Amino acid sequence: MTFSAEKATMIEFKDVHKYYGDYHALRGITATIKAGEFFSLLGPSGCGKTTLLRTIAGFEGISSGAVMIDGKNMAGVPANKRPTNMVFQSYAIFPHLTVEQNVGFGLRKDPRPQAEKDKAVAEALEMVNLKGFGKRAAHALSGGQRQRVALARALILKPKVLLLDEPLSALDKKMREQMQMELIKLQRQVGITFILVTHDQEEALVMSDRIAVMFDGEIAQLADPETLYRKPASRRVADFIGTMNFLPAQIKSEAGGKVEIEAHGFGQLTLDADQVSGANAEGASIGFRPETLTILFDGQTAADRESMGTVEEVVYYGDMTYYDVRLDGTDAPMRLSMRNIPGRPVLDIKERARVAWSPSAMVLFR
Amino acid sequence: MPQSTRWGRFRESEAASGLAMISPTAIYATLLLAAPLVTIFLYSFWTDGYLTIIREFTLDNYITAWSNPAFRAVMLRSLFVSLAVTATTVILAFPVAYFVSFFVEPSKKSLWLFLITIPFWTSYLIRIFLWKVILGYNGVINSSLLSMGIISEPIQSINYSVGAVITALAHAYAPFAILPIFVALEKIDRSLLEAGRDLGESPVMTFIRVTLPLSMAGVISSVLIVFIPTIGDYVTPLLLGGPEGRMVANLIDLNFKKLDNYPMGSAIAISAMAIVVAISLLFLFVNRRFLKGAK
Ligand SMILES: Nc1ncnc2c1ncn2[C@@H]1O[C@H](COP(=O)(O)OP(=O)(O)OP(=O)(O)O)[C@@H](O)[C@H]1O
Ligand SMILES: [Mg+2]
Repeated sequence: MTFSAEKATMIEFKDVHKYYGDYHALRGITATIKAGEFFSLLGPSGCGKTTLLRTIAGFEGISSGAVMIDGKNMAGVPANKRPTNMVFQSYAIFPHLTVEQNVGFGLRKDPRPQAEKDKAVAEALEMVNLKGFGKRAAHALSGGQRQRVALARALILKPKVLLLDEPLSALDKKMREQMQMELIKLQRQVGITFILVTHDQEEALVMSDRIAVMFDGEIAQLADPETLYRKPASRRVADFIGTMNFLPAQIKSEAGGKVEIEAHGFGQLTLDADQVSGANAEGASIGFRPETLTILFDGQTAADRESMGTVEEVVYYGDMTYYDVRLDGTDAPMRLSMRNIPGRPVLDIKERARVAWSPSAMVLFR
Repeated sequence: MPQSTRWGRFRESEAASGLAMISPTAIYATLLLAAPLVTIFLYSFWTDGYLTIIREFTLDNYITAWSNPAFRAVMLRSLFVSLAVTATTVILAFPVAYFVSFFVEPSKKSLWLFLITIPFWTSYLIRIFLWKVILGYNGVINSSLLSMGIISEPIQSINYSVGAVITALAHAYAPFAILPIFVALEKIDRSLLEAGRDLGESPVMTFIRVTLPLSMAGVISSVLIVFIPTIGDYVTPLLLGGPEGRMVANLIDLNFKKLDNYPMGSAIAISAMAIVVAISLLFLFVNRRFLKGAK
């Protein structure tokens, strides 16, 4: 959260429902997005991210509830009258116009003299690193360049909210990572509220101040990236964000801020009450991230607990190695990750391993 | 190696297979289109002797044709009729194409296009006779207006007139005008229209600034598809035009058949063609900015 002084509410969804015929696409969305925030809508395909974004832009009406922008109810306000601008997934660059004309498209009604508008266009192009591209035909641009044109075209209008619908999904990995960084910088520079739709959890974690995880037209969790990663609200969220190992568990007792559980393969454990998270349809289970397990090599001792296991799978990633290790007494292997620091060996399949773990790094889904 | 020779390389090339593929059509077109055209072109520089053709180069036919006020009048009328038909057809076709492209459910679009082509199921001649029934002296319009007491005697001007020719031609060419515009509209990425709205433009301004320029390629095709054939139309003016509605094709016919003056007819035909080509090229030139650049 970059702008701590500026925490005014920019967008408010009040119990928003949306039906497409019989299909219930948005099921009671209630959320608040703050001014100056980099906010992401994250979820699997078809969960309603785009639909929700389009209700802000005014391309999609809602069946009930309210969408407020900067304190005003947007009911009946057409897209061209809303203080928002959008970067479309396909970029929607006008093919019959030059780069300059595209960027200046929204300035027609701007009362400034033409020379000033031209200057604004040139500045906008410079901001997105497209200086000197003004006279190019729009169709003579690469994917990344189109995306920058779309950004400049929206930002030149100084909207209160910039909406981005999977703007990076058409780019290759390198380009995507570069654009992620550029977008973050740009957002800090202009201070406009950005709302990003993405189905890429890594992208959401990297870029956002806060993230709303959506499933089936509902917000499953709305939190900052760290909370989302450390303490997912449900097993479904945990599964969607990163990798998490799950083991069945039974709750023995709950008292005085402590929870006693019996976890498969780990035995009796005592967890803090704030390690307990939301629902799991498949019954109670404990979850932990791969990096919370560590393989111990000669001479190392565990800070907390230690178990023996057998390596079942090794996936070498260069900087990291992922192991699937089955702890003695459990029937499913667990994923763990180790940094490949110099001098640290990479274990082979079937090798025995000492694994260090800690109950404090676990989450209990009940 | 045969490939190393120029001919060998050519035979291996894509160009060769492309040429092979179009060659039946090309031969057909050469025999039935180019050959008669060349013949007419040659004739236009010869002179009509009483029984034979005098094969000596002369520009007399052209000079006569262009200085003859009757020819000029007919040529101007032809131009006027085909421009009027083109304007009427394209202006009426655009809303139809727009409606089908933007307001008809995707699954029903082909049905609509099918319905649009229905007029083609009846022969061109029958359609013209039907127009005669509608527009004629005792036709549907006149007799209903008479019976309603709106007019006291049949309106002559809708029957055997330039207006009747324009009406019938516009009807006949409507599908030709609708389809290219429809295709152009279909190709417009709908998110471009949303982008127009998003950037602050009303639906009308978005239409003017985005939809219209992006559909111009289709409009231009429509204009040419209607304009070029209608200027040389023969049957419609013959049957509906009356003496005042004759067009250039009728004049050419007159020279070839009644007057038996092949060279004169040829000169008029070539002149008419030159005028059509010149106007079409000018039109394309004026609109060239809409035609360049693929997506
Ligand atoms: N115009 C429409 N008519 C009917 N159903 C629609 C329409 N638009 C979207 N839907 C449905 O609403 C649901 C949500 O769609 P939406 O486009 O918001 O998904 P999304 O989360 O953006 O998915 P993706 O990541 O694939 O883009 C989907 O099941 C979709 O089929
Ligand atoms: Mg989407």
